[in-house]
Amino acid sequence: MPRLRKAVALLLVVGLLVTLVGCGGKGQNAAKQVKSEDSIIRITEDWPVFIDPGVGSKFSDSIALVNTYDTLVFPKPDGSVVPHLATKWDILDNGLTYKFYLRQGVKFHNGDEVTAEDVEFSMNRLLKIGEGFAYLFTRDVAGVKALDKYTVEFQLKKPFGPFLQSLVRLYILNKDEVLAHIEKNGQYGEMGDYGKKWLLTHDAGSGPYKVKEVKMEEYVLWEKFNDYWGGWDPNAPKFFKLSGSVEPITVRTAMGRRELEITDELQPLENYKTMDKIKGVDVATFLNGHNLNLMLNTKKAPTDDVHFRRALAYCIDYNAIITSIYPGSALSKGPVPAVLPGHDPTIPFFKRDLAKAKEELKQSKYYGKLDQYPVSLSWCAEAPEEEKLALLIQANAAELGIKINITKKPFGSMMADAQKLETTPNASLVFVAPHYNEAGSILMSRYHSSSCGTWEQMEWLQDKNIDNMIEDALATVDVKQRFEKYAQVQKALYDLCPTIWLFDQAEKRAYQKDYVYWPTAERALKKEKGCLPMGYDQYVHDMKVYPEKRLALL
Amino acid sequence: MGINLLKRIGLSIFVLFGLSILIFIISRVVPGDPARLALGPRAPEWAVQKLRQEMHLDKPLYTQYVLWLDGLVHGDLGRSLVTRRSVTTDIKEFLPATLEIVILSAIVLVFGGIFLGIISAKFTNSWLDGLIRVISYLGIVSPAFVWAIIFVLIFGYNIPIFPTMGRLSPGVVPPPMITGMYTVDSLITGNFGTFVDAFKHLVLPAIALAMGGMAQAARITRSSMLDNMGKDYIAAEKAYGIPEGLIFVKYLLKPSLIPTVSVASLDIAALFGNAFLVELIFNYPGFSRYGISAMLNKDLNAIAGVIMVLGVIFVTINIIIDFIVAYLDPRIGLAGR
Repeated sequence: MPRLRKAVALLLVVGLLVTLVGCGGKGQNAAKQVKSEDSIIRITEDWPVFIDPGVGSKFSDSIALVNTYDTLVFPKPDGSVVPHLATKWDILDNGLTYKFYLRQGVKFHNGDEVTAEDVEFSMNRLLKIGEGFAYLFTRDVAGVKALDKYTVEFQLKKPFGPFLQSLVRLYILNKDEVLAHIEKNGQYGEMGDYGKKWLLTHDAGSGPYKVKEVKMEEYVLWEKFNDYWGGWDPNAPKFFKLSGSVEPITVRTAMGRRELEITDELQPLENYKTMDKIKGVDVATFLNGHNLNLMLNTKKAPTDDVHFRRALAYCIDYNAIITSIYPGSALSKGPVPAVLPGHDPTIPFFKRDLAKAKEELKQSKYYGKLDQYPVSLSWCAEAPEEEKLALLIQANAAELGIKINITKKPFGSMMADAQKLETTPNASLVFVAPHYNEAGSILMSRYHSSSCGTWEQMEWLQDKNIDNMIEDALATVDVKQRFEKYAQVQKALYDLCPTIWLFDQAEKRAYQKDYVYWPTAERALKKEKGCLPMGYDQYVHDMKVYPEKRLALL
Repeated sequence: MGINLLKRIGLSIFVLFGLSILIFIISRVVPGDPARLALGPRAPEWAVQKLRQEMHLDKPLYTQYVLWLDGLVHGDLGRSLVTRRSVTTDIKEFLPATLEIVILSAIVLVFGGIFLGIISAKFTNSWLDGLIRVISYLGIVSPAFVWAIIFVLIFGYNIPIFPTMGRLSPGVVPPPMITGMYTVDSLITGNFGTFVDAFKHLVLPAIALAMGGMAQAARITRSSMLDNMGKDYIAAEKAYGIPEGLIFVKYLLKPSLIPTVSVASLDIAALFGNAFLVELIFNYPGFSRYGISAMLNKDLNAIAGVIMVLGVIFVTINIIIDFIVAYLDPRIGLAGR
């Protein structure tokens, strides 16, 4: 019997050793040579990733699209745009006509030349499908026409000042290639499925990277497009991969193994702190133009009273939020995040002041009957940190005698609640991002009556005066005048206090600073002002990677 | 035996039919407009309405069910709102990936559990028994995702000998699609290098998934064997001079396995559900992860497709296990089960 026992123990030990040796040896030796595949930038993001410009619009889609497709103009952190596929443009008819002159000799990934017809096709396809970033153009674009091979003209229904800024979302597709891959019997008449099925896993772009492989629910892999018109730095990454895993433990392990270069922005604070301690890893923190709002339902008691809303706004401890719950973020100074062009730095903003809060509350029609009017507050289950914030707001409000009932809700339910005034709670915690980099984007999507019934406006403001002011500002082509009008809207919104603007969000991403050059991280380190539209911070063409330095870390 | 099998299959069809009604109704009464969720808050209403029509969401619930059932019978489970592909295509791609993990996990669970149980029973109250019991307790109390995290940290980070993400290493070309299981397909096509790589990717998730069931199987096998060891018929066999090895395998082990097999069958079926977090942690594009993503995104067709496939798997495993148990102990039979 003891002999058998020893044999079993020996068997277990030998089995374990064989497994470890068998799995480990080869990989370690092989890893010490620099290979072409090591010149890669790998980024984690939430899945799904849509690489079809007619469908994608989320964060992960945007990263994919800006690297695969070219746009007529390219955004700069200060909110301006510079020539890209278009070398120049004319604004005619008081902003009703935009004429673009295309760069000649630009190649699509299959070798075809980019022409004005492709631009016309791309805009028409986007408008016809109606998904993705189409919402930026459906309201204002009347038509688009290729005037000759290299000139394209857009007609607007009415002047739209930030039209150029919104064009950073018009990704140019190769018309011939898409048409060659349409499936008949689709929902778009003679255009069949408009190539939607094919474009789920293929690209028809001219951008710096071309799609090499799409593994559903796992990753998308791109390789460098050698003939890219924008040229290449010798250290530019040869490959780029977007992985659909944001699990903290997986992300942290991949960073430690140098199998990941830049993380997603969705990691818990603790994980960023842990990754920051890994040799060669740094956490880039930068304001991205997003802000967190406590949206107050202005048509439901007691938040229908402006004094009640202001009392709430004055009682919140904003400093505690940006130091303890969302460190690195900045105090909000009004409805528009401060890094966005068109933000007015001169308007007043709410700070914690209990005396003022009590004063406002006394003027409210609900003063003295607060126990009859509890405030319902929803926070998003997918953003766990919001629970701490909701509890802080509850505690702050209790100092005034206001009772807040907190509910945790999946974002899907919050969206469903937002569809009707009656089901929209008194207060909702919601992160908001601009659709293009200008104040007008936030003002329009957040406070114009057309967005009531969506999660972007749970305030149900429905104020004709505000609507007119926003429309007037957006219709102003002159930038200076437009920004002045934005400032007036911001002031009017401050007075109405439909929202408590809690903070301007700081985006955090861990990255391999020892072997990756990332322009956004460099800007963050230098504390440069401004921000780029969603996805453009991950424009891989401008990054650099040093595989030999990576090997030294292994 | 044949009639019993037919009876069980007939009953299973009723179970699956009931399940289809239940899941269809539940998925549609959950709040939130799936078309709006799929296209996003900024999509124009006409585009959302178009999608609603395409998915028949504008029709009464019973009409929607009949149309869905008709599609199911013809192998068409509709279009997924998340992947924008046919649900049937998704299932064909993701199910084999999870099956691969679950099969390996089931092998580890059954053979590992029984092996540890036998050793533990054989060397009762020795240090080996003590060690196995401690491991078993840890296995039972720790969910699969905890093991997954521990394995990722140990074998992925501290001693990086196993891959921790995906089904294949970068640069490894997947084998031609035959069964969809990379290990099986690479062996069929004679690509041993790909087999080794795919197998390495399976090891950690499969063991993490198997830990709980294996521990339970070990505990049950041990106690069942100890129970039977004290029975009179074993003493009688020893008195007749029957060799100890024969008594152990034929008269002690076989009946002791009945409870283990019954419980392990349920554990194996549950592996599909438990695989979700394990697949998430290992960024493994499997069926369970697909199912949860469908539920979170209110992807109606995908939810119904996933639940139906899981229903078929559960029912099939139960039928198979009933037959195995009937084989192990003919007194039990199938009629009474």
